[in-house]
Amino acid sequence: MLMTLATIAALGIAQQTDTTIPVRAGARLEVSNFGGEIAVKTWSKSAVRVQATHSGRDRISIDATDQYVRVKSEGRRGPSQLVDYDITVPASMALALSGVYTDISVDGSQGEVTAETVEGSVKVSGGAGNVSLKSVQGEVTLVNARGRISLNSVNEAITATSISGDLSAETVNGDITMTQIESANTDATTVNGEIIYDGTIKDGGRYRFSTHDGDLRVSVPEKAGVSVSVATFNGDFSSCFPVQLSRKTKHRFDFTIGSGSARIELESFNGDIRLCRPGQVAKGKHEDHDDQEEE
Amino acid sequence: MKDQWTDRLSEYVDGDLTATERTALDAHLAACGACRQTLGELRRVVARAQALDDRPPAADLWPGIAEHIGVVSLAARRARRRLSFTVPQLAAAAVVLTFLSAGSVWLALRNRPALPPAAPGTTAVMSNVGMSRLDARTAASVAALEQTLARNRDRLDTATVRVIEKNLGIIDRAIRDAQSALAADPANPYLNQHLAQETRRKLELLRQAATLASVRS
Repeated sequence: MLMTLATIAALGIAQQTDTTIPVRAGARLEVSNFGGEIAVKTWSKSAVRVQATHSGRDRISIDATDQYVRVKSEGRRGPSQLVDYDITVPASMALALSGVYTDISVDGSQGEVTAETVEGSVKVSGGAGNVSLKSVQGEVTLVNARGRISLNSVNEAITATSISGDLSAETVNGDITMTQIESANTDATTVNGEIIYDGTIKDGGRYRFSTHDGDLRVSVPEKAGVSVSVATFNGDFSSCFPVQLSRKTKHRFDFTIGSGSARIELESFNGDIRLCRPGQVAKGKHEDHDDQEEE
Repeated sequence: MKDQWTDRLSEYVDGDLTATERTALDAHLAACGACRQTLGELRRVVARAQALDDRPPAADLWPGIAEHIGVVSLAARRARRRLSFTVPQLAAAAVVLTFLSAGSVWLALRNRPALPPAAPGTTAVMSNVGMSRLDARTAASVAALEQTLARNRDRLDTATVRVIEKNLGIIDRAIRDAQSALAADPANPYLNQHLAQETRRKLELLRQAATLASVRS
């Protein structure tokens, strides 16, 4: 489809749009694009610069008020087809970016970020407050964000690195990798994929990791106080450190480490579940201390 | 404290005891403070359940689905409603009703694209149902959304359709795995929870696909 769009776009003469608009603090950037790219980076100026590469048949429309800057493209005969946006914004500006056949990237944001596409990747560096990233057919990647984080894909992987705050990640057919996480509330689920969590376990925190076909690898810091519930149907459980199992039933068992004030739920129907220390979740099984049971 | 009459109190409230049993239980109630207290609680729960409003949330997806699958009217459902629970069921029902009420509000406030509005008189399938009916309703909703998606699939790009169908297949496989495992171990809480989770996931993906189709149209 993108190839088709590129061909159509090439039939028109490529054109550049380059406009800079002053903005007030608190204004929001809204960009919608059908096909192409939305790339946002930040600067220290109180202004938004919109650079766009597009067909000569298309026109870039920028609607600016005190509350928002709204960017979209219009073709002479209906919606435009393929536009590559390169947009520079104040770091704290809230971003609402959407596309269909569109790759979305953000670099250096310190504001709220909402990014949604159907066929394309979403890669964001930064973000604070509500950060919501979605793609149906593309990878979703977030680094260096804090706040309430929601990451969704359907057919690709999700990667979250250096995140602080509540984290929710869900895909159907892809891995979920979370590293350097500072969170008291994390929920990650996939159907066909592996889940890795390497981060803090905070007192009173809630953590849930669930997959159907895939392994779980989760880190538990040495001094964490946590109640762990493990459920698997066809998989095995192993741990890099000794644990004492309790309340064991056919496919489920619990154990407690320290005070037990945090709660971790680990579920994999067909995969193995492994607990390790932070930084060790990618290691092999040679240090296992599994099945340290206390009936 | 529990005695031989505790589990019969629900039938007592519903008038299902024989005259002999009712006389015996009346005599027992005169002497048993615990049963009198339980009876009072039962009557309060029943009264609250009967007083609940079945009105659908304004922005709910379900009225459209209800219309599509031909769910009976509210009046007919109320006429058919008959409350006959054991004590544990009533206690569970109180909890479920609380969550369903909160859930209905949540659904109403949630900014979710809705199917076309239901015709007047159709019933929100979400309200005041037991857990087993909840499962049946979910299955009906999945079927309805599958039909909707099948009708609208030409509005979506073929690559998107392929991806959605592939992922629905992945979820279906997980559902089948859970169902097979449950056939051998029907009381397993993990398996029941896993099946419910994957069914909900399928519902969400179908909703997402339906939304994409409506946006593209």
